[in-house]
Amino acid sequence: MRQTAGTLNRIWLTILGILFLAAGTALLLQASGTLQTLLNTAPAWQSVVTGDLRAFLAPTGVAAVVLIIGAIIGILGLLWIIAQIPRRNSAGAYRLHEDGSQGFTLCDPSVLAAAVEKQINTLPGVVSSAALLRGSANAPELTLQVTVNDRADVRDVIHRIQTTTLPELSSALEAPLQSSRLQIDISGRTQSTGTVVRSTGTVVY
Amino acid sequence: MSRHDQRSTRLRHRPSRAVPALIAGIFLLAAGAALVWLSVTRLVNGSWPTVLQGPSDWLAGLVWNDPAVWQIGTAAIVAGVILLLCAIIPGQYSALTVDDSGTGVGDEAPPVEEQETVMTRRAVAHLAKARCVQIDGVGSASATATTGRVHVNVTTSLHEPGDLRQRITDAVRARLEETGLSPVPQVTATVRSRD
Repeated sequence: MRQTAGTLNRIWLTILGILFLAAGTALLLQASGTLQTLLNTAPAWQSVVTGDLRAFLAPTGVAAVVLIIGAIIGILGLLWIIAQIPRRNSAGAYRLHEDGSQGFTLCDPSVLAAAVEKQINTLPGVVSSAALLRGSANAPELTLQVTVNDRADVRDVIHRIQTTTLPELSSALEAPLQSSRLQIDISGRTQSTGTVVRSTGTVVY
Repeated sequence: MSRHDQRSTRLRHRPSRAVPALIAGIFLLAAGAALVWLSVTRLVNGSWPTVLQGPSDWLAGLVWNDPAVWQIGTAAIVAGVILLLCAIIPGQYSALTVDDSGTGVGDEAPPVEEQETVMTRRAVAHLAKARCVQIDGVGSASATATTGRVHVNVTTSLHEPGDLRQRITDAVRARLEETGLSPVPQVTATVRSRD
């Protein structure tokens, strides 16, 4: 249901990996003297810092540049950490009618999601459900997480959702669903709503 | 940096690489904070912090073919390879696809343009385990599931398990088939007799 930063992570890990690999390779080539042969860089026996380091770091401008670089690196790191928090990324208010002269009709998607959950929770075998609406009123996108007990007829639950819940939601919004994503989970718990018949006893043959 | 487009994404996805990303993010944040602290101290006090004295002296005496440079270069290459592997190795899908095309036979197709139905690997393992414990002769069971394989570990009190293993795999496969998993994962079982 919640969305993670998978693509973002892959991109940044690749960029950092390439940078580290390139820097490490360049350092080893320089240390071995190969880079001097290829690109005429400093000889391997020469000092890494040729000038006066103190004199180089003395101007205030250097500190300002270091401050800016540090701030950029730190902010990027912080944003990357924050991006790891899974997000619902749910839709804002659906605008069902937006004719300004006749008024606006707004609908909170969480109200529709609650109605969907309530209906699904009454299906046989369903323990709990969570619905999330994304997209817009004209192109709604539904994501469902339905937890059924381990003896439930999963295909029947899917069939009932497809033939009752989805058409009713589509009818309420007066638009076909852009996408419907359903995740089935299994629980050892029994159904908490609807009609549940518990039976115990001994079968005598 | 993260999604705010209010669009849904596929439920069946690869791992998000959150752990290496968090580690790399913490390193970046620490490096940035250290640079900011050093430069702010320099701007406020008029001189760089004394903690920089040691590294600057070490750097001033360092030559390119020093063993330390080799070590730093090697460490950078190892770190780069690890980061690239974290990004490139795809990892397993989080869930298995459920074929929902046959569930609406005889009914009008649902008003949906794009449809996806999945079952998490944990759910598949739970389903296999639940089916197992219903079989006569099974004492306890545990199951693990990947996208292509379900393995069940069963303990039985039977001295001679006989065809129990076959019955378990057949029953679990039938349960997964009737659930609609597509493709149906390969089912294997290990049976241990309780002494």
